[in-house]
Amino acid sequence: MAEPILVVDHIVKRFETPEGVLTAVDDVSFTVAPGEFVAVIGPSGCGKSTLFNVIGGLLDGYEGRVSVSGETISGPHAAVGMIFQEESTFPWRNVIDNVAFPLEIAGMAKAERIEKARHFVDLVGLNGFERSYPSELSGGMRQRVSMARTLASEPKILLMDEPFAALDEQTRLLLGDKVLQIQQDLKQTTLLITHNLTEAVQLSDRILVMTYRPGRMKRMVDIKLPRPRSSEIVGSDAFGHYVAQIWNDLREEATKGLKDDESRRARTSRA
Amino acid sequence: MAQAGHLTQSRAAAPLVSAVTWLRIGIIAAALLTWQAAALWGASLSKINPALSTLLSKVTPSLLVVAESLAEVLFHPDLKWPIDLGIGSWRFTQELWIPSFYWHLYVTAAEVVVATIIGGLAGIAVGIALGAKPFLSRAFERYFYYLGPTPKVVFFPILILWFGVGPESKIAMGTLSCFFPIVLSVAAGMRQIDGVLIRVGRSFRLNSWQMVTKIYLPAMRQPILNGVRLGMGVALIGTLLAETRLSNKGIGFMVTDAYNTFDMPRMYAVLVVLFAVAIGANALVARVSRR
Repeated sequence: MAEPILVVDHIVKRFETPEGVLTAVDDVSFTVAPGEFVAVIGPSGCGKSTLFNVIGGLLDGYEGRVSVSGETISGPHAAVGMIFQEESTFPWRNVIDNVAFPLEIAGMAKAERIEKARHFVDLVGLNGFERSYPSELSGGMRQRVSMARTLASEPKILLMDEPFAALDEQTRLLLGDKVLQIQQDLKQTTLLITHNLTEAVQLSDRILVMTYRPGRMKRMVDIKLPRPRSSEIVGSDAFGHYVAQIWNDLREEATKGLKDDESRRARTSRA
Repeated sequence: MAQAGHLTQSRAAAPLVSAVTWLRIGIIAAALLTWQAAALWGASLSKINPALSTLLSKVTPSLLVVAESLAEVLFHPDLKWPIDLGIGSWRFTQELWIPSFYWHLYVTAAEVVVATIIGGLAGIAVGIALGAKPFLSRAFERYFYYLGPTPKVVFFPILILWFGVGPESKIAMGTLSCFFPIVLSVAAGMRQIDGVLIRVGRSFRLNSWQMVTKIYLPAMRQPILNGVRLGMGVALIGTLLAETRLSNKGIGFMVTDAYNTFDMPRMYAVLVVLFAVAIGANALVARVSRR
């Protein structure tokens, strides 16, 4: 196996809350090799997003170490591109200017960056919408704009936090195809944070299953489905086998999460 | 079917001038009529009660006299405006007579614009600092809430000591007046920026200056425009107030000057033009900020 490009080494992150110290992420370690697609899956409240923010350099005050290409990070790293769960396009910029944003920040000349941005707009299949504003696009299209914007910065590692969470299932599957295709075209190293099993199995080489609070590593599953893939594999036996296997692990954690949530609600409603 | 017919009918019956417009016109007309009645009554009292008659002729001069003063203010050239242009060896010199009102209007407008620019830039900068740093906002923001509604005219004597009796002290008053509402509006606008946009900026490793110019300012376009619009209004109030206190030019000076010489029709005429200018300026700013 090649030298890992991303090393996550014994990460522990605690938050002070009014009810005491909450350990969101507890001793998580894994590595990602160049070109690899790894998904982190777990129920809501397992600290997935915390992990995303730590690796992206947006959170500090954690124990452990994250290194990218052998460099320990302190703050957002140039080689890491982030795609957020929420709507994150700039509403005051049209599609092409949104996508050209990181190039503009890098100081690239206008003609050159528009040219380059056009390539990434094509890549996510939005050609013809270059001059449209986000308010004129659908949710799925806007998420593709964010994706193109992050890809335009040519990150060595693409970090995605439930990028399709706000979309309907069909759009999600089709966008998954897009991601697969892009990943195959660009040999893009990707770390995907998700709670969606189908999505994780459809896209990943390996899946890290996390436990419910505190977020620990439960299991790392290798997905040995052939590549190139498309959303059609969702119907295959092997796919179903992986989904069932991971759901087995996940169900236990999701149940814990649900119980915890219910008892908390019961407490607050009594109070 | 009957319903559809009813709908068409009600649309056809929609009046050319709405009830609200009629009411507005009616109220203005009633006010003017009452005014004119008071003026006529005052004139008819000249033999019976000369004191009351004189008072009324000052408080409510006949609308015809006010209209005459209005025409004089707007059209009577009483100020020499020397024009001296030169390009190379070519020279153009001309003495132009204009109504002094336009000169005073120009002075006040320039004072307000300069005040809004200075106060606006300072207000936006301080507002961004307060909005971006919770520590600063916790420490200082309440002072802005306290000072905001304080009538800034209490500082006018100090401003005169610092900046003199000329336009500089008026600009200082206008600046001081518009600074506070703009700071509060921008600080509130900062807090309304979607957090994910700031995280996007951080993930692309923007420096502080890029954060301000590429994310904060475009994301706050509307609150900033609202703040500046509000600020320009209070800058106008502050400037005019300062001009009425101590000055030798500007619209505020014209009003006090007319009052001091007891030329009430002229004072009313200037006020009427001032209202018209204020309404026009507000409509203009509203139009710009809507785009």
